[in-house]
Amino acid sequence: MEASPQANAVPAGLDPVWLANSYLTRRKFDECITLCTDLLRANPYDQAVWYIKTRALTLQDWIDDIEVEEEGVAEVLLDEHAVAKAPRPGTSLARPMTGAKGAGGGPSAAVRPMTSSGRPLTGFARPGTSARPGTSARPGTSSVEAAFGGGRPGTSRPVTSGGRFVRLGTASLNSDGSGVFINVDKLDLRKYAGRPQLARALCNYILYHEHNPKKAMELCAHATVSCNYKDWWWKAQLGKCYYQLGLLRDAEKQFLSSLKTCDIVTTSLELAKVYIRLDQPNTALEVYTQAAARHPGEVSLLLGAARVYDALNETVKGVELYKQVLQYDASNVEAIACLASFHFYTDQPEIALRFYRRLLQMGVKNAEVYNNLGLCCFYASQYDMALDCFEKAFQLADDTGMADVWYNIGQIAIGIGDLGLAYQAFKVAVSMDSSHAEALTNLGVLESRKGNLAAARSHYQAAQRAAEHAYEPWYNAALLAMREGNLEDSFKLVNKALAAFPDHTDSQELHAQLLKQFAAL
Amino acid sequence: MQRCYQLFVRQDFEECLTLIEDLSGTISVPSDFLLCIKGLIYRQQGEVQQSLQLFQQAAALNPNSHDATKQVARTLHLLARYQEAIETYEEVEAALPADWEVLHHKGLCYASLGDHSKATDVWLRAISIQPRDATQVELIKSYMQLGNTREALQTGVDALEVSPENGELLSLIGMLYMQKGEVYRAFDLLGSALALCPRDTRTILAAGSIMQDHSDYDVALMKYRVAAVHAPNSPQLWNNIGMCLLGQQKYVAAISCLKKALYLGPFEWMISHNLGIVHLCTQQFASAFHYFSASINLNPVHAHSYMYMGMALAKLDDFENACHAYDKAVQLGGDMLIHLNYAVTLYTHDEHDAARQHALQVEELFKTHPESPQCSESRILQHRERLAVLLAPDSL
Repeated sequence: MEASPQANAVPAGLDPVWLANSYLTRRKFDECITLCTDLLRANPYDQAVWYIKTRALTLQDWIDDIEVEEEGVAEVLLDEHAVAKAPRPGTSLARPMTGAKGAGGGPSAAVRPMTSSGRPLTGFARPGTSARPGTSARPGTSSVEAAFGGGRPGTSRPVTSGGRFVRLGTASLNSDGSGVFINVDKLDLRKYAGRPQLARALCNYILYHEHNPKKAMELCAHATVSCNYKDWWWKAQLGKCYYQLGLLRDAEKQFLSSLKTCDIVTTSLELAKVYIRLDQPNTALEVYTQAAARHPGEVSLLLGAARVYDALNETVKGVELYKQVLQYDASNVEAIACLASFHFYTDQPEIALRFYRRLLQMGVKNAEVYNNLGLCCFYASQYDMALDCFEKAFQLADDTGMADVWYNIGQIAIGIGDLGLAYQAFKVAVSMDSSHAEALTNLGVLESRKGNLAAARSHYQAAQRAAEHAYEPWYNAALLAMREGNLEDSFKLVNKALAAFPDHTDSQELHAQLLKQFAAL
Repeated sequence: MQRCYQLFVRQDFEECLTLIEDLSGTISVPSDFLLCIKGLIYRQQGEVQQSLQLFQQAAALNPNSHDATKQVARTLHLLARYQEAIETYEEVEAALPADWEVLHHKGLCYASLGDHSKATDVWLRAISIQPRDATQVELIKSYMQLGNTREALQTGVDALEVSPENGELLSLIGMLYMQKGEVYRAFDLLGSALALCPRDTRTILAAGSIMQDHSDYDVALMKYRVAAVHAPNSPQLWNNIGMCLLGQQKYVAAISCLKKALYLGPFEWMISHNLGIVHLCTQQFASAFHYFSASINLNPVHAHSYMYMGMALAKLDDFENACHAYDKAVQLGGDMLIHLNYAVTLYTHDEHDAARQHALQVEELFKTHPESPQCSESRILQHRERLAVLLAPDSL
């Protein structure tokens, strides 16, 4: 046996089962599991040890699946859950810019950068919100290639959301070394359904360790029957299984029924998640608000609603909720970061600065925070601080973050009018991340100011390939083509720019001018 | 055929194309008319290259139809093949010597090639055939490119007689007058241009800036409010709004407007320059210095930037560098204001002799340019007198 010697050594006079339980409560799962394996070898029918080992294995692989919401390629490409093929304006997450104008009141795309799904960047990176290409979402992003790409250019998304779970599972099984602990396929689930405590442990084990929602669903179905459809927990688990299997309408039914039996925050959160997946943001918001009224002070519900508002591009409403969150939980990183970025993009860098400083005081120390602090300092005219912050950001940045920091250095160089430095900074950013669309676009602008039109065009083209969703490279390239007299290309490019940002006045003007040229006899 | 034309005029392009397909199936010889219509539709949809082929086919089918040839030339022009376009137009011109359209477009080709003098010649001929607004506007722009403001104005005035209600023309001539410094006439013209098309952002900006120059800030802000709806992300607009607010002594609002402008247009040196001035007004000299240095980096030949930078540096107790900045400003074209400010700075740092020299320069400029608007500015006069009094006892 290759188990570590310390774990094997049970002190004399100590009940090994008690010790295993103690390991479990102290979250020393590896020791707990090896101890239990030994005990089970001696007596395979010891239910207490079996229970402890199941719990330990489950907790080892436990992830908070209320937060994680990343759609895999399969979900994106084969998404057939959308209720309406052409949703009404403002009712779909896939078309965030269609809401009533001025209702959101947030900054426009000209001021605040956009993600590939056409909504403003939030201040907090979380899975699922950064990108949602969708098959019918937007022209230009609907290709299969786009679906494979992740939120940021250059990243990729998992094949299925189940895929990530499965990979985690196999890795942990190998490290276990003793083969399969419970052979789920051979279990008589009906027998276990009669024993509620064991069954719950088993259910979690199947869901989180085995990642076999189909089997878990069977168990849940038996268990709910055996307790006369009265137990909220089993119904919620059933909903979770359905959700993982992609049967969203069934999941919705189970969660609703579970909520009727017992009003639990987690269930509400999962129900809202179902609606978000069904692309019904307004229903999800309703779930969040109603649950928040029943559970005042529950931060996760408020955050959930705020995220949906963000995704619908109604930033101002989201900001209000983030402020509420901070009243209940003054050190909520997500709320602080989102408020900070909101203030930054609404021309209040001084206030944003205070929020970022709060993050720093709370111990969030990474390149991104320092980078943002530096930007805030610069725009608040505190030049000496700005450079220090960027130096710190360089110290902390890894390869992906470094490109962004250099990009921002370039922005500041433009701000102080040092175009040579700006050019070099953007070059460095591109050398670190060859698909950094923003840096490429700015390089193009600088080249075209120098008169190197061919170089400018190639930079724009690279930026277009890297980020189809950004309107800047399209518009700038259109302008370049127009200046060179190549009206046909210019027209095509400006159409792309308008597809990415329909309200861009300069693009509209160029478009009108080109149409006039074409229509003139 | 008639139906096809109707559909084209109604811009019902899809249906028109299907109709053309149907029609070309029924007739044995392809019709140049249908080809032309199809070409026009393709061109309006942005498929210029395809439309060129169609027009060329049509022209080959009916060599006597100048319409098709004209469209070939026009399409060549759109494809930036200017020389070929000019040759084609010349062919048509041989057949139709008195066609305004041909001459107008030929001029456009010359202008696109950068040959403005040839373009103006051609346009003058076009106007003698038919005085159309489009040609007049192009002619004025061409004169402006050549730096011939007088001719441009003359053309403008002539053109206005023909069509007094062309908003584009009015605002163009208004801006010409503004460049010449005839503010009142410019304002008149811009006003009537605004009456005709009240939402043209450029005209609003021009008219607003004149109001601003006359300290009529409230009215200017009203005008800008209209423009802000149509061009919310125009750096020039926000710059002007910021300067309006500065005129009303609302410094914080001015700074935030100017910062917004700078965010939207980081390459506009004027905005940095203005931000520097606002910071000078609010006694934040270090920030002011940074903005002036940014402005100078972007536009190194603006004398006043150096002067203001000198003022900021002097306030920051860096007298030596302040003098360097002033010297640079004087070197780039020292006007009265620069000499006056230099003298004041020198005097406050007890450099009386040097101060006197610049004060003398100011007096000199007063004598040589008594008509310049700076001579009547009350604050300049005030400072000049005070300086004269302060420096006088030393000279005795």
